[in-house]
Amino acid sequence: MRRKLIAALMAATMALTVVGCGGAKDGGKASDSGYDQVTYAYCTFNNIPSEEDLDTVEEAINEITRDKIGVEVTLKPIGIADYSSKVSLALQGGEQIDIFESLGNFNTCVSTDMTYDITDLLDEYGSETKELVGENWLQACSKDGKVYGIPTMKPIALTPMIIYRQDIAEELGLDMSAVNSVEDVTDVLRKVKEAHPEMTPLAPVQQGQIGMNVVWDNVDWLTDDFYSPKGVLMGDDMTVVDFYSTPEFREKCELARQWYNEGLVMKDAATTTSTAAECMTSGNYFAYIAAYSYPEADTAASLQAQCGTNPIAAKMIGDAYLSTSDVNAVSWMIASTTKNPEAAMKFLNLTYTDADVINLLIYGIEGRDYVLNEDGSVSYPEGEDATTVPYTAQLSCGTLGNFFLMYPTAGTDPESLKWELEQNEKAKTSPAMGFTFDSDAYKTQYTAVTNVIQQYLAGLYCGSLDPDTEIDKFVAALKDAGYQDILDGKQEQLDEWLANNK
Amino acid sequence: MTKTEHAVARSAAKEKKAWKDLPLLLIALPGIAYLIINNYIPMMGIFLAFKDFSFFRGIFGSEWCGLENFRFLFQTKDAWIMTRNTILYNVAFIIIGTVLSILVAVFICELGERKRVKWFQGAMLLPNMLSWVVIGYIAYAFLNSETGFINNTILGRLGLDPISWYAKEGAWPLILLIVYIWKNIGYQSIVYTAAISGIDKSIFEAAAVDGATKLKQIIKVTLPMLKPTIITLTLMSIGRIFFSDFGLFYQVPQNSGAIYATTQTIDTYVYRGLMELNDVGMSAAAGLYQSLVGFVLVMIANTIVRKIDSDNALF
Repeated sequence: MRRKLIAALMAATMALTVVGCGGAKDGGKASDSGYDQVTYAYCTFNNIPSEEDLDTVEEAINEITRDKIGVEVTLKPIGIADYSSKVSLALQGGEQIDIFESLGNFNTCVSTDMTYDITDLLDEYGSETKELVGENWLQACSKDGKVYGIPTMKPIALTPMIIYRQDIAEELGLDMSAVNSVEDVTDVLRKVKEAHPEMTPLAPVQQGQIGMNVVWDNVDWLTDDFYSPKGVLMGDDMTVVDFYSTPEFREKCELARQWYNEGLVMKDAATTTSTAAECMTSGNYFAYIAAYSYPEADTAASLQAQCGTNPIAAKMIGDAYLSTSDVNAVSWMIASTTKNPEAAMKFLNLTYTDADVINLLIYGIEGRDYVLNEDGSVSYPEGEDATTVPYTAQLSCGTLGNFFLMYPTAGTDPESLKWELEQNEKAKTSPAMGFTFDSDAYKTQYTAVTNVIQQYLAGLYCGSLDPDTEIDKFVAALKDAGYQDILDGKQEQLDEWLANNK
Repeated sequence: MTKTEHAVARSAAKEKKAWKDLPLLLIALPGIAYLIINNYIPMMGIFLAFKDFSFFRGIFGSEWCGLENFRFLFQTKDAWIMTRNTILYNVAFIIIGTVLSILVAVFICELGERKRVKWFQGAMLLPNMLSWVVIGYIAYAFLNSETGFINNTILGRLGLDPISWYAKEGAWPLILLIVYIWKNIGYQSIVYTAAISGIDKSIFEAAAVDGATKLKQIIKVTLPMLKPTIITLTLMSIGRIFFSDFGLFYQVPQNSGAIYATTQTIDTYVYRGLMELNDVGMSAAAGLYQSLVGFVLVMIANTIVRKIDSDNALF
């Protein structure tokens, strides 16, 4: 009897679980409406809208897509904080997601088979997008000659800038136009320290970063990023070098150490949890260094609201440099588990080419979520802002399809768009553009090396570790962690790539 | 009676007993369901530890990869450091935590008056309700090198130089121990308080009549009576000796790289390493490894307890 009871119970729970999964799998090709169904999972930096508000936007988009491509779309906005893990869990659980984006994890998505090979689909249903994005950039989203993603069209080239308090610069008569490199910054910081001993001149951008990681304009991180560089290319030389043994790296660390010793930078920068915006708002800091993709004036204007009431300005202190990972950082992909790859591709194509679809996705419904000004720019309705309108994904601009087809927000200079497009085209480009490193065979080494880097890099970049003694220890610890295997692996794959692409 | 008649009678008796047990089983039903759904069904995930996971093929379709996923746990020098830290911290927590929470429980029971007992218990329990993130910031308020309380107020008054705590690895075993005790002691002492309240008062009275002082009563009566509770709780913590409290080791040191040598544990290592790789197989391997070692340790500890004092063993 007891055994029967337990058996029944087991059966019941099993059935429940199966039903649970089955329920979510619904909504494939054959739907009541007769249109192909596609689920579009995008990451939003704004509030997640309520079900009804989302439905109205969805319906407005569907009115366009039913006519144009015979597809109905389900929107699935996911908060930035857990976007990637939610998408991967959803795909594991068999939940329906047809289109999703990479957020710096393009390679992981490809190597774990999350993505659909879209090489042929792109020719058939996305030729406009293909032309728009260009062969070069698509290569950055390819592996073994197969295309797996489409990079989002946005100002990609990031230029390192110093964001500073304009009132103080004027008060001290600082000539900011003469500041053209990170080395030039030292003098400015010193002058500020002298005149305002109560202030800390330089604030960190976030934990462990005072800007040293963004001021490289000839380094290709080869699929890793500047938060955790491993083997890199420097300049036009096609030899993979150990970043941390280079004299350039040592120089930057020594500069940081100098700032640290002279009290020019926040002492706790390597461990602080304060962000640049908080520091600037507090009024105790003069500047911070970060990389942005908009012109100086626009950058300052867009950051002003976060940085408190003191007027801020921006000055470029380096050049932009494009490599594969800049291009594929945010790229759109079709899930390998999709039942409707054609429909997904058709819709993806619209997000790059149809201004109405893009603006609906970003701004929502005209009149309710935004108003269109006479000059073609967009504002929130009277008395509303990003947090009160029923739907907006405004902060996701530049991650959804084509940024250049969006309505500009009020106050943006139309010239800026031109500048941004130009930057994208003329920025210095790595000779290894299009190469991606497949780290699958080096997972063990990656885990160990990543841990070592986290242990040392922040301290060295923020000056709290002495480069004279610590860099050597750092390099030795990396060696123990299997660093050389990664360097060799990168070189081998790069050579192979070169042989195939020359 | 023949053999079959015997069997029939016996199974009828069994049937009757089962019917009698039914209400009890029904009471247990939600618990059993919870156990199955929460603890047994996810065990399927154990396969992941031995698979080269592919989203397209799913858990069962992915290729086997042997022990490849476990390699990262053992291959580097860090492996030794993180294992050592995890075990030493847990041993310290078990020993010092148990001693102190028994002490607190004894004191609380000696307070006598109900109102006072409740007040003290509530006050000691409060830190347990705070999340590690909040506690991390409280610690930060003390330890921050520019504006922190210790550097600014205490060391300053004593005429000592400020210390950058988040770069001083030697200080962290003590800091983490204090923070852990502060957060958990109230909660841990509850069980002991309850056990002490359960002791028959007449035993204490008898001891008092025999001339035992308060201290003697605690040593000769309270502690022996607490022994089963202590053993059970300690055995349970030994089972988790390979797991560390992630919040304590990640949030409180503010993820500061300079002090990894004394704050890195298996859980934080796995978290840091796999955040970038996002590899399900390797995470599953780490979890399996920790559980297995924990299981073995509990079995060993239990065997030892059974050898010494079989009444108090868990099973």
